[in-house]
Amino acid sequence: MSIIRTIDLTKRYEDLVAVDHLNLSIEEGEIFGLLGPNGAGKTTTVLMLSTVIRPTEGTAIVGECDIRKNPDDVRKLIGICFQEPKILWVSTPWDVLNWHAKVCGLSTQQRKERVKKVLEEVNMWEHRRKNVHGLSGGMKKRVEIAKVLIQRPKIAFIDEPTAQIDVVGKHKIWNMIRELRDEGSTMILATNELYEADVLSSRVGIMHKGKLLICDTPKKLKDSIPGGDKVEIRLEKEATQKALKKLKEIKEVASVSTMDSQNLKIYLNNVEEVIPQIMKLFLKNNLPILSINMSEPSLDDVFVHYTGLTIEEAERKGSSR
Amino acid sequence: MFLQYKFLIILRAIWFMAQIAFFGLIASRMVVPDLADIYFEYYVAGVIIMMLYSTSVFIGYDIFEEAEHGVFEYLLSLPLSRRELVLGRSIGGGIRSFFLVGPMIIIALCVIGLTNPVNFLLALATLFLFAFGVSGLSITIAVGLKSSDRFDILMGALNAFIVRLSTAMYPQVFIQEANPAYSALAQFNPVTFASDLFRWGTGIERYLTVSPMPFAAIAGLVIFFFTFTFIGVTFYEKRLEGGGWK
Repeated sequence: MSIIRTIDLTKRYEDLVAVDHLNLSIEEGEIFGLLGPNGAGKTTTVLMLSTVIRPTEGTAIVGECDIRKNPDDVRKLIGICFQEPKILWVSTPWDVLNWHAKVCGLSTQQRKERVKKVLEEVNMWEHRRKNVHGLSGGMKKRVEIAKVLIQRPKIAFIDEPTAQIDVVGKHKIWNMIRELRDEGSTMILATNELYEADVLSSRVGIMHKGKLLICDTPKKLKDSIPGGDKVEIRLEKEATQKALKKLKEIKEVASVSTMDSQNLKIYLNNVEEVIPQIMKLFLKNNLPILSINMSEPSLDDVFVHYTGLTIEEAERKGSSR
Repeated sequence: MFLQYKFLIILRAIWFMAQIAFFGLIASRMVVPDLADIYFEYYVAGVIIMMLYSTSVFIGYDIFEEAEHGVFEYLLSLPLSRRELVLGRSIGGGIRSFFLVGPMIIIALCVIGLTNPVNFLLALATLFLFAFGVSGLSITIAVGLKSSDRFDILMGALNAFIVRLSTAMYPQVFIQEANPAYSALAQFNPVTFASDLFRWGTGIERYLTVSPMPFAAIAGLVIFFFTFTFIGVTFYEKRLEGGGWK
């Protein structure tokens, strides 16, 4: 069941179309990755869906509420972790979180318990009484994400979940995002970290220049690249022409290149399903296999496939948009 | 949260003490000698209202601070209606100004004295509406202009206009004698309503033009509060999004 549905959602700033007729559906209980370079329109989309800014055209249904007609009801369903930590300008992490929990309607007892628990989880308990302005960027980001973890909203928007956070912290936050999903929240991650989107998201939507290019599971997106999977095979003997012909006849195989007659590079789709077939073929042709090396395309490859640019190139071009 | 203003409180207290100890005493000696003591009390009460006005305006500067730090987006994403948000800001700004001016009100009471505590409490309650209304006015202008420089200039001009065209410093009877047009304008000024109420609350009613029960001043401040809270909500909703803050 869709918990978010956008209908031609558009945001224009004078000549710039930040989000261009976005049509998107997000299912209840999923972790949805909104992927794209900086300037792709991810944050603007999140801000419109959370009723912080009004769309220029189109609308969206969040929960069962229209963001234009019932913005107050929409805000009761959502929680946001902003890209840049939004911290009231003189407070401690404890004050920031306690105030946030209070505004979100948590009882005194719930606040006490959850603020302590979450501060411990994000490794900020020791720093709870420090002035937020004295904290590092990573610590501020942890306080920002803690707001959502305390609130436990029905729908959580997390903009750049692990920006400025170290590798160990990243894994911890990823686990917390998964836990929040397991507790029933629908998570929307806006990120330009392709690996993060890949490991966390059940579905990914790729945005570029304000438009949604494609939306599907990471697996299907990768499989959508013709010949995206790569298998390198080293044979004990030289491959025969007959075997190579048979290999090329397999539907999923896009191309075969031979470095030498014993070392083959095969570009194909659905590698995990096709590999037994390939092994069977070589064995049947009396060509024992010495080694196999398989690699799947990454979301970087998917992004390149659909935009013709790497995410870094798209960011450079996007900044001049 | 309030402690961030500790230096401001100290400076305001110094300003207030200087205002009443030097200017107040000198100014009261400049008027008819028989009225010197009376005018001194009048002047102290007026300075309190001027301070309440100027500290309630602070909320507008907070708005620019929040825009700079991007806190707006956070506030706008909270599970609150825009009306609750503006009302919260206006009331918060008003309460804060009372917190800042509170010590000076106590000093003023020591100087003026208090004849009827019930009247004073009623006046104080209505002065809260004055402070909330000024905060609403400040929010309205801040989100309307979206420019801290313009806001600074306009608030300076407005401060001069509203405070000077009021009975904060000059009793209505003398304004009336000096310039009837000026007097007519001063009669409908929220600073006049607030100043008159404070004097009525502290028992300086003999110098006022208000009736024994200052219904007009109370009604004027209630209207002022509702008007600028309503306009504040409308402006907040229409103007906050989309950036353009300078």
